[in-house]
Amino acid sequence: MVGLVTPAMNFLPGPAQTAAICLGIALPLLLLCYARIPGIRGAGSRFRIGCATAAALFAIACAVLPGERRIDDVAGGILLLATAMLLVYVFWGLLAWGFTLTLLTTLAQAGRPLTEEQWAAAYTQGGDIGKFARNRLKLLLGSGMVAVTGDTIAATSSGMAIARLARLVRLATGLR
Amino acid sequence: MMSFVVGIAGVAVFSVLARVMQSAARGTSPVAILAIAAILSHLASVALGIIYVPQFQYWSAASIFSFGVMSYVFVFGAVYKSVSLEVLLAVAGHPDRAVPLPYIVGHQVPEIFRGRIQILIESGLVEQIGSTFAATAAGERLAARIARLRRMFAIGDSGLYDFPD
Repeated sequence: MVGLVTPAMNFLPGPAQTAAICLGIALPLLLLCYARIPGIRGAGSRFRIGCATAAALFAIACAVLPGERRIDDVAGGILLLATAMLLVYVFWGLLAWGFTLTLLTTLAQAGRPLTEEQWAAAYTQGGDIGKFARNRLKLLLGSGMVAVTGDTIAATSSGMAIARLARLVRLATGLR
Repeated sequence: MMSFVVGIAGVAVFSVLARVMQSAARGTSPVAILAIAAILSHLASVALGIIYVPQFQYWSAASIFSFGVMSYVFVFGAVYKSVSLEVLLAVAGHPDRAVPLPYIVGHQVPEIFRGRIQILIESGLVEQIGSTFAATAAGERLAARIARLRRMFAIGDSGLYDFPD
C-alpha cells in the first residue's frame, strides 16, 4: 500500500456549486417562463436571455450566500453552470433548428404521404429546398465564413480556418 | 486543486476512449458511444481520485469533467451533422475555394436533404411508399412529442434560422 493514502472523499458540493446545480436544473424552467413572454421573440434570443439570467443569479448567489467563498467552490460552480448551459443548448438547438427532426415533424403534420418536392415545400412552409439552402447560407454569410460575388460563393480566410478546424475535429473524434 | 486535475485526467481518458470506440464500433450510435465513454472515464477518474488524492472533492472533479465532456459533445455535434458546415466544407474543399451558387442550391443541399430522408428511413421513423414518404407509427409518436415540447417552449416548427430581414 506504499504511495496510497487513506480514502477520504467529499461528495457534498460547496455552496456556490450547489447554487450552480440548482440553477442548471432551473434553466429549462426559466426558458419555459420566458416562453410565456411575447416580447421575447426567437429561440436564439430566448436562450441567451435565459443563460444571462442564470449567470446573474449565480453571481448574486455567490455574493449573498453566507460564509467565505472558496475559489475552488466558485470555479466548480461556474463550470457546472456552463455545463448545464451547453447541455440545454444541445437539446434547444435540436428542437429549434434540428433539420432531421423538423423533416419528421413536417411529414407527420402533413397527415398524408408526400413526394420529395411536397415534403421540401412543407418543410420550408411554401418555399422550396432553395429557400432552406439560402437560409443556411445566411448563417455562413452573416458569420463572415463565405462571401458571395455574383453567382459564386467563396470561402473567406476565416471560413477556410473553420473548415480546417472542422476536418481536424472530425479526424480527432473518429468521425472520419 | 488536485481534484480538478483528476477531472482533467478524466476528460483526457474520455477523449481517447471516445475516439477509439468511435472507430472500433462503426454502426453503433455515436451518441451511445459518447455516453458509454463518459460513464467509464468518469468512474475511472473518480476511482483514481479516491485512491490517490487526500480530501478528494468529488464535485470539483465532476465540474471540470462534465464541462470538458460537454464541450467535446458540443463540438462533436457541430461537426457531425451540420448542414451549414457541410456547405462550408464543400466550398472550402474546392480547388478555387469557390463554388457556383446554383450548385449549392440545386445540387448539394438537395443531396443533404435526401441523405437525411435516408437516415429517417433507416431509423424506422419514415417509410417510403412508391415515390412518396410517410411517417411510421414510431415516427408519429416522436413527432408528437417534439411538437408538444416546441409548443411548451414557444419554439416555432420551421427549423429555419430566424434572421432579421
